[in-house]
Amino acid sequence: MSKILLIDDEEAIVRLLSMSLRSDGHEVVTALSGKEGLNVFQKENPELVLTDINMPGMDGIEVLQKIKSLQPDVEVVIITGHGDIDNAIEALKFGASDFINKPVRDEVLSVALHRAEEKRAMKMQLKAYTKNLEHKVFEATREVRRKSNFLAKLIRSSNDGIIATDDQMTIVIYNPGAWRIFGYMRDDVVGRRKITDLLPKETADAFGHRVGSHSKGNELTGVEIQIQAEGGELIPVLFYAAPLFEEDRVVGTVSFFRDLREIKRLEKELVSAERLAAIGQTVAGVAHGVKNILHGFKGGSYLVDLGINKGDNDKLVKGWDMIQRNITRTSDLVMDLLTYSKEREPEYQTCDPNAIIMDVCEVMQDKAAEHQVKLVTELDSAIDSVSMDPHTIHQCLTNLISNAIDACLFDENIGKNWQVTVKSQFEDDQHFKISIEDNGMGMSQEVMAKLFSSFFSTKGHRGTGLGLLVTRKAVQEHGGTIDVQSQEGKGTIFTLRLPFNQLDN
Amino acid sequence: MGKKVLVVDDDPDIRLFSITVLEENGYTPLEATNGEEGMQIIRKERPDLIILDVLMPRESGIRLYRQLQADAKLKKIPIIIMSGITLKSFLRSQKALTEFGGDPVPEPQTYLEKPVEPDELAEAIQAALK
Repeated sequence: MSKILLIDDEEAIVRLLSMSLRSDGHEVVTALSGKEGLNVFQKENPELVLTDINMPGMDGIEVLQKIKSLQPDVEVVIITGHGDIDNAIEALKFGASDFINKPVRDEVLSVALHRAEEKRAMKMQLKAYTKNLEHKVFEATREVRRKSNFLAKLIRSSNDGIIATDDQMTIVIYNPGAWRIFGYMRDDVVGRRKITDLLPKETADAFGHRVGSHSKGNELTGVEIQIQAEGGELIPVLFYAAPLFEEDRVVGTVSFFRDLREIKRLEKELVSAERLAAIGQTVAGVAHGVKNILHGFKGGSYLVDLGINKGDNDKLVKGWDMIQRNITRTSDLVMDLLTYSKEREPEYQTCDPNAIIMDVCEVMQDKAAEHQVKLVTELDSAIDSVSMDPHTIHQCLTNLISNAIDACLFDENIGKNWQVTVKSQFEDDQHFKISIEDNGMGMSQEVMAKLFSSFFSTKGHRGTGLGLLVTRKAVQEHGGTIDVQSQEGKGTIFTLRLPFNQLDN
Repeated sequence: MGKKVLVVDDDPDIRLFSITVLEENGYTPLEATNGEEGMQIIRKERPDLIILDVLMPRESGIRLYRQLQADAKLKKIPIIIMSGITLKSFLRSQKALTEFGGDPVPEPQTYLEKPVEPDELAEAIQAALK
C-alpha cells in the first residue's frame, strides 16, 4: 500500500477518489490545484501522484514535469478527459507511468495504481541492484589494485633476484634483488635485454630448451650456477626458473636468483673454525700425553744417572727399562696420531677376513694367557673372499681385541672365568659382521658417551686415547659401521658391520 | 726410619721415579696404583705425606683428594699433586665439582706439573714436611 498524492481542481472528484483509495488501504493526501499539489508533494513526499491533466493555472503536464525534475523515481499517473489521447501521449513522453480516462472507474484506477506500484518497486530494485553493483565493482577494483601493489612490493622487496620476461625472453621485470646480484641498472635491461644474455651459456641453453619449450612441468629447480655480474665478478647463485602460463599458452618466464656469496663465505669459515678447534683439542691432548712420557724419560735418566754415579747396576737396569718403555709409548702415540690425521686412501685387495682374525688372535694369545683370559674364535666359513684393506682391518681388530683383554684385566670380579670371543657372521649378500665380545668390567653410560672422543682413556698411562677413534675412522672408510653394547660389570660387545665388496659402494 | 710418604700413581715408571727420589733423600716410600688402594694404605699406615696423580683408571686422584679433604683427621696430611694436567685445568675441574653440589675443598698445598725434575720433587717434599 502506498502514500498517494491526488490533485484535481474538482473537489467532488477529489473526495470521491480519495474515499475509494483509502478504502483500498492507501494513505491519501490531496490538492485542488497544480501549485498546491507541488507544495503538498514536497511536504509529504508521496510515492505515487495521481493528477488531473486539465486544471486552471498549472496543468497536469506541468505538474508531471516539475515532480519528475524534483523526484525522478516517483510514479505519476495522469487522469485525462475522455478522448484526450494527444495529451495522454504527451504525458507519457514526459515520464508519466500510466494514464486513466475520466470518469474514473474503480477497477481501472486500481489496475493503474497496481501497475504504477509494481513499476516503482522494479525501479527501486534496479536502483538498489545498480548501486550494489557499482559498490562491488569499486571494491573489486580496490582489491585488485591492492593486490597488484602488494605483488609489486613483494617483488621489489625480495632479497632474491627476480627477473620475469615476456614470451620472447625479453626482460619485463627486474627487481632490486636482481640489480644487487647482476649489477646492471634496471633501465638498461628492462625491454632491452633477454634473460638468456645474463645466464652462463649452458644454463641459457637449458633455459631455452626447457623453460622456453611450450609445455608444462619444465621448471629448472634449484640449480647452483655461477653468473657473471656486470663488473665481471663470478657470483654463485641458486637458480630457479619456470615458464608462465595463461591457460595453455606460455606468456613469459620467471627466474629467481638466490645470492650464495654469504653462505659460501660462512661455509668456508665454519670448516676452518672446525679444523682449528680440532687442532686445538689435538694439541692439548698430545701435550698431556707427551708431558707424561717426558716425565718417564726424566725419571729414567735420573735412575740411570744414579746407577752410573753409584755403580748401582739395579738402578741402571731399571732406568734403562724406563727409557725404553717410554720410547715405545712415544712411538705408539705418534703412530696413532699419524694414522688418525692422515687422509689415507684404503688399499683394497681381495682377502679372507677369517684369516686376518686368526692371525690377530694368534698374536694376542700370549697377552690373553698372561692375564688368564681365554681367547676363542667362532668363524663363519661363508665369508671367504672380501675386498678390503687387510692392513687396516688387522689394525682395527688388534685394537678391539686388545681392548677386550684389557676390559677383563681391569675387572675387579676376580672370580670370573674371563673370555674374549671373536665371531664372524654372514649377514646378507652385501654385508658381514665381526663381533668382539668380552665378559670383563663393562662400561658405564658416562664412559660409553665419551667412547669415541679423542684423548679419552680409562687406561691411564696405558692408553693413547686415540685407539677407538682410529678404529672407527678405518671402519667408516671401508663403508662400514661400528656398534657397541655394554653393561657395567657384565661385559662389552663391539660389532663391525662391513660390506663384502668395496666396488659396489 | 724416615718419614712415610705414599706415592699414588697408575704409571709404574712414575712410581719408580718418585720412590727412587724418596729413597735417595732418606724417606720411607709406600706405593698404591689407584685411589682406592691409596685410601686403604692411608687408613692403615697414616703416611706423613701423599704424592698424588690426578688421572688414574678406577678411583681417580681427584676423588681421593676430595675424600681426604672431607675427613677431619686425614685432611691434615699434606699432599703434593703431581700431574700432566695444568693447575688451571685442575682448579677448573674442582670448581665444577663444587658447583655440582660437592663441598668446596682447599687448593692443594703443592702442585707439580709433569715432567718434574728430581731436585724439584725433593725440595717440594722437604717443604711440605716442615
